[in-house]
Amino acid sequence: MAFWFWRGLRKGIRSTRYPYAPELAPGISPGRPLDTLFATPEEAAIAAVNCPVDAITAIGGHAHVDLKKCVYCERCHFGAPNPLQWDDGFEWTQAPSPSRYKPLPNEFARSLHVMVVDAGDCGACLNEIRQLNNPLYNMHGLGIFFTATPRIADVLMVVGPVSENMRGALVKTYEAMPGPKRVMAVGTCALTGGVFGRSFMSAGGVHAVLPVDLDVPGDPPPPLAVLHGLLVVTGRKAAIQ
Amino acid sequence: MISTPPLRYLKTPFEAEIERQFTTAVSVELSHDQILSVRLLRTEALRDLCKFLFWDAACSFGGLIVEEEPAEWHLQYLFLRPGAGWITVTLRAPLQNPVLPSITPAVHAADWYEREAEDLFGLQFEEHPRLGDFILHDQVWQEGIAPMRRAFNPLQSHFERRPNAEWRPTLVVKDPGAFAMPVGPVYEGGLGESVHFLLETVGEDVIRAVPRLFYKYRAVEKIAEGKSVSDGLLLAERFAAKSAFAHSLAYCQAIERAAQIDVPVRAKQLRVSLAELERLRHHAGTIQAICQSTALSVSEAHAAIIEEQLLRASCQFSGHRYLFGLNTPGGLRRDFEAPACLMLLDAVDEAVRHLGELEQRLRLTSSFLDRLEDAGVVSAQAARDLDLVGPIGRASGLANDLRRPCPYTGYESYSFEISSEPDGDGFARLRVLFFEAQQSAALIQQAIKALQPGAVCAPESHVSPGSAMGWAEAPIGATVHWLRLDENGRIERYRILSPSFRNWLGLHVAVEDFAFQDFPIILATFGLSAAECDR
Amino acid sequence: MMGWTDATLALFFLLCAAGLVLSAIVPNRVVAFLLAWLGGISSLLLMTAATLQLIAGQDFDTTLWTLYGWGTLSVHVDHLSSIFLFIAGLVYLSCSLFARDYLIQYFSNRYPAGRYGVLYFALMAAVALVLIAGDALTFLLVWECMSILSYLLVNYERSQQRDPAAGYIMLAMSEGGFLAIVVAFLILAAHASSFSFPALRAAGGDLSDLAMWGVFVLGFFGFGVKAGVVPVNFWLPRCYTATPPIFIPVLAGVTLNLGLYGIFRLNGDLAPGHGIGMGLVALIVGSLTALVGILYATTENDLKTMLAHSSIENAGIVVAGFGAFLVFRNSGNAVPAAIALTAALYHAVNHSVYKALLYEGAGHIEWSTGTRDMDQLGGLIRVLPALSVVFLVGCLAISAVPPFNGFVSEWLTLQTFLRSAVLPFAFVKVIFALSGAILALTAALAVTCFVKTYAMSFLGIRRGAWSISKSLPLQARFSVALLAVACLLLGILPTYVIPVLNRAVEGMAGASATASLVPPFFTATSQNQELPPAFLQDFHNLGAQTGAGAVPGRGLVILLRGSDQNPVVFAMSPFYSLLALAILLFIAWFVVTRFTRQRAVARRELWAGGIPRLLAEMSYTATGFSNPVRVVFQAIFRPNIVEDTRETVSVHFRTAIRRRRDETHLVDRLFFHPVGDAVLWIARGLAGMHHGKLNAYVTYSLAFFVLILFLYRLA
Repeated sequence: MAFWFWRGLRKGIRSTRYPYAPELAPGISPGRPLDTLFATPEEAAIAAVNCPVDAITAIGGHAHVDLKKCVYCERCHFGAPNPLQWDDGFEWTQAPSPSRYKPLPNEFARSLHVMVVDAGDCGACLNEIRQLNNPLYNMHGLGIFFTATPRIADVLMVVGPVSENMRGALVKTYEAMPGPKRVMAVGTCALTGGVFGRSFMSAGGVHAVLPVDLDVPGDPPPPLAVLHGLLVVTGRKAAIQ
Repeated sequence: MISTPPLRYLKTPFEAEIERQFTTAVSVELSHDQILSVRLLRTEALRDLCKFLFWDAACSFGGLIVEEEPAEWHLQYLFLRPGAGWITVTLRAPLQNPVLPSITPAVHAADWYEREAEDLFGLQFEEHPRLGDFILHDQVWQEGIAPMRRAFNPLQSHFERRPNAEWRPTLVVKDPGAFAMPVGPVYEGGLGESVHFLLETVGEDVIRAVPRLFYKYRAVEKIAEGKSVSDGLLLAERFAAKSAFAHSLAYCQAIERAAQIDVPVRAKQLRVSLAELERLRHHAGTIQAICQSTALSVSEAHAAIIEEQLLRASCQFSGHRYLFGLNTPGGLRRDFEAPACLMLLDAVDEAVRHLGELEQRLRLTSSFLDRLEDAGVVSAQAARDLDLVGPIGRASGLANDLRRPCPYTGYESYSFEISSEPDGDGFARLRVLFFEAQQSAALIQQAIKALQPGAVCAPESHVSPGSAMGWAEAPIGATVHWLRLDENGRIERYRILSPSFRNWLGLHVAVEDFAFQDFPIILATFGLSAAECDR
Repeated sequence: MMGWTDATLALFFLLCAAGLVLSAIVPNRVVAFLLAWLGGISSLLLMTAATLQLIAGQDFDTTLWTLYGWGTLSVHVDHLSSIFLFIAGLVYLSCSLFARDYLIQYFSNRYPAGRYGVLYFALMAAVALVLIAGDALTFLLVWECMSILSYLLVNYERSQQRDPAAGYIMLAMSEGGFLAIVVAFLILAAHASSFSFPALRAAGGDLSDLAMWGVFVLGFFGFGVKAGVVPVNFWLPRCYTATPPIFIPVLAGVTLNLGLYGIFRLNGDLAPGHGIGMGLVALIVGSLTALVGILYATTENDLKTMLAHSSIENAGIVVAGFGAFLVFRNSGNAVPAAIALTAALYHAVNHSVYKALLYEGAGHIEWSTGTRDMDQLGGLIRVLPALSVVFLVGCLAISAVPPFNGFVSEWLTLQTFLRSAVLPFAFVKVIFALSGAILALTAALAVTCFVKTYAMSFLGIRRGAWSISKSLPLQARFSVALLAVACLLLGILPTYVIPVLNRAVEGMAGASATASLVPPFFTATSQNQELPPAFLQDFHNLGAQTGAGAVPGRGLVILLRGSDQNPVVFAMSPFYSLLALAILLFIAWFVVTRFTRQRAVARRELWAGGIPRLLAEMSYTATGFSNPVRVVFQAIFRPNIVEDTRETVSVHFRTAIRRRRDETHLVDRLFFHPVGDAVLWIARGLAGMHHGKLNAYVTYSLAFFVLILFLYRLA
């Protein structure tokens, strides 16, 4: 099977240069809606009403977007009467309580072990996280690894709105992790419950179950947004405000 | 009540056959296009009728739709007749203590549908081989909740739970030294979905692998009740986002069929190309999972690159990597310019070319093929018994694909082949995936090249109350979305019949006696989605 | 000194007699007390007598009675006897103390403890007499007594046994073996002047080849019944499983040794012969015994049966070593012969100690949990902490893990196989190589077997529905600790054990094992040239003279120097290894506690993938652990797997899958059943003669009479 080795070499290095250089390839991120200033408050109100998950609030002429609720229905983007402005970055990680947030100590900066728990996610967030393993993103080059056991994990990454059947397993995973540890909620479902919200079967987000250190919004957040989140948790990048 | 058929209506030979065999027990009516409705007048004839449809008429079982009406239960058994269309068998039963025979002894594919009805509605099916502890796990919920009943409020804030702490799984292997190795629900570095397996073994090989799903149950069908059609569309897209476009397509077609909306040709063509783009990307992901499970790292990397390139192409083309927010009842929400279409064609060509190279090289790697051949064999008989759908069914010799017998969104005007492999092992499933990827690329080519100018969305029209059914061939298999709308145009009942729900039963039942090491490989070759099954 | 041995032995027999009589008359409650104290003191006396004889270095013999027309019954204590006496005494000491608390169960039921006590003391005396018998008559008489007493003790709980036939099979096999032994001794005695051992020894040097083979085969397999060699050992697992737990340590630790002693005495001392064929037969039989024993031990779930198969394995190793000794001796290589015999003796000694220990542990497990099935046990380390430690010592010892005793004897045994280069013929070397390979395989399987035993019984979570009611009683703790300490001492002080064994070896092999195995590092200096100077310097640099002034003896290193064709040096020292290990651990502990930050340690529950709790049916079972062995050696096991599934609706909806496994033991399949069938066939044929017609019977008598006259005429 030497030809696999040779083929692999011939493909060359395809990894992104992020975070050492900006990544500008098309299609790496769906972008996000931005706070937009409209000409009249009525237009802002129309934009706000259009949103099916109430992620847009109109204050005067400002349409303010809460990315944690956005489910990317694109109704404020394509074919909208008053489209919002969109950017195409991917650095969206925030700390829900910035004053109490501390990144992991320095030793973890280049050796981070991540435990990913699927608490009812639709499959897209998990797929995006999985893309971090492929040569285009190459998170191993940054010293980040996925683990299969929480006993050696430093970061708990939760996707999904925490279905009730999975709540017990999630809490057990958290408790099985030794300190120091951080919890990242990835994706809109994990932040606010997404389209599933709070119900008898869905806890409505990880905040209701575990103490969350970092939020990575998006539906789903592209792989680079997750990567940015992992860099924030080790302190190599700063969270956005 | 027996309805007299209209005089101008000529019965087909098949309908005549049904009436002849089950004379006074059924009443046959042809309702919407491609859907034949059979009303059951005597409950006892249910099992025989279903047996006749499934075995003698070689129909495929589509699913069970249960509705709670004010005075009675309304059950619909869905069948798909090859080359002809859908058949629904309707059964009504009194609300209090209904006597419902289980059709599982005759039609094994109905096993999980009846268990689901028992768990969510509290219905009891007589002679079902096993009921209990299905969706609402006994370790978390007490018996008798029946959340899908009208009286149950999904948003109640205080819900008292009395879990059964002494619950134990029922083990099948009764050897004195047998044990059941637990896997999950948190396992595989988290990159696997939350499914719990019990691998029953006596040490060397796994005699029986029992999956326990519904750790991801989010009660989508329940929380959709009372929502508007557009909000329901959000749910349809996001409960299984890797097949988001296919599910939203089925949903929109249900509405379109109910409102009798004529979707413009351009929209249909674009829908075909987007659906096939999603299928191509999904299959690339499954191929990557198969290569990963056999630890052939370079091929895994190649497949992963292909999948990522397709995700990026999807994002460039449509604005979202998973094609969210495109479908709407009546067509698409946005139009696409010619340069974007050309870009898509180039990306698809390149991806499919790389996939072809990958396939060639994999076929030359005997150590890789060794692990796939005879791994998790699903015989043709088992596949027919359990009525598996999608690439898994096609890899076991069933040639079922919704795009042929019940074409939708213009598939009848394209030329493509339906794959079919007789072996039923892991390698056959891989071959099916590669073949379908090629076919998807060809379909995208045909659709984009034949793109006609025009509108991409039909004007909004009023949706009359009543039931609506739409279907699509999702990457994992056939999916059906069924809705009942009330007079305000809001969803009264939403039913999703997903392909993964059917195929997990196949994994459970048809795969026995394999080595421990083969387990991840078999799981990867099945390529099932727990999110799509759990909803 | 001679008088002391005499007196000690006399006192020992007196105490045994006292114990016997007292047990019959005192109430049941006192019998346990009696057994422990009187039995303990008697054992100590036995050990003392043996020690005295070994120290004195001279054989001791005395005549007892003269039977008219038969010969003189005499007693002869030589070094070989003393070694076995010492070990028998040690095991008896431990068992006497151990049995005290378990005899309680015999107080109130129909098996009075008094009867047990009588049999016990009688057996103790019989065992001692077998070992010190000085002539064939005494030996055979006492051997038969010992067999019958063993049988009575084995069958003590007749009506409670699940397998009543086991004792009878043992008795039948013992009698068969005895018959063979009698014939062997008779063949020898036919050429000798009297029955005494010196006379037989002289006769053994002059026998014809056919007679020699006759003595060897009959003696080897006759004693092999008690020792447990293939194919006459099929009674052993069944019998050991059915034996009451308080007696089984004696059965495994003492009576099995008697069989080995018999082989050593008859085939090694009295009639070793001149050819190498007999040694080869012993070697091959021993290796195969070892392999078969350990294979069945590894795949067995019942603790007692598993230990029985393991006893077979160990007996096989001893016999293989003995076979190597015979081959070396008869081909003129005295030094390898000495080493081989030392290895065999050492292993016999070791086996008694750790097997008795393991059986005592298994007995306590059965007594307190009510089950012996390893599939049902688990988690005992939390409820029986004291026993866990001691049982671990036993498991490590039997798996030949340093620094325990099993390691030393296995090492010595395998070393002798490496010396096959000095042998004359190529095919002999091939047989040695193959046997060595088989023994290496058994060593690996033994590790698997005892890892499984310890892990499945003590570690993990509880799998069955039992609860602990009794923890290890105080006297039982002392007895198992005694054996555990003996395991350790025998392991780290081999350089003191080998000179003791050498006293017996030297006479039989003709070379000194001490001289070739234990170099005098402590007493050698550059002046007194006991060792080559360069050699001494090298080893001095390695630390082989550490402790020279403080510790007595020749040194603490065992060393084998290869022959001229093979000039390599194999050396090992369990004592120094243990010392080094202790020092390393201490350094590690010191560094970690003094120089690293103290971190908080939190104890959380077991991680099991997020399920609510790990159930017993989800943990590995003993069957699962040993399944790979069962699968790999399927050709030997040849199980019939009968799969029986029960379905409700169709093949897809199963409610139960049952797989019944039937296995016939290899020896049963290849030897016992064919022989039994043949015998039954002959018997059926002969039964045709019994048809009830009186006339025919009279004819039989007449015909037989005529035949006798005819033979008399011919003679």
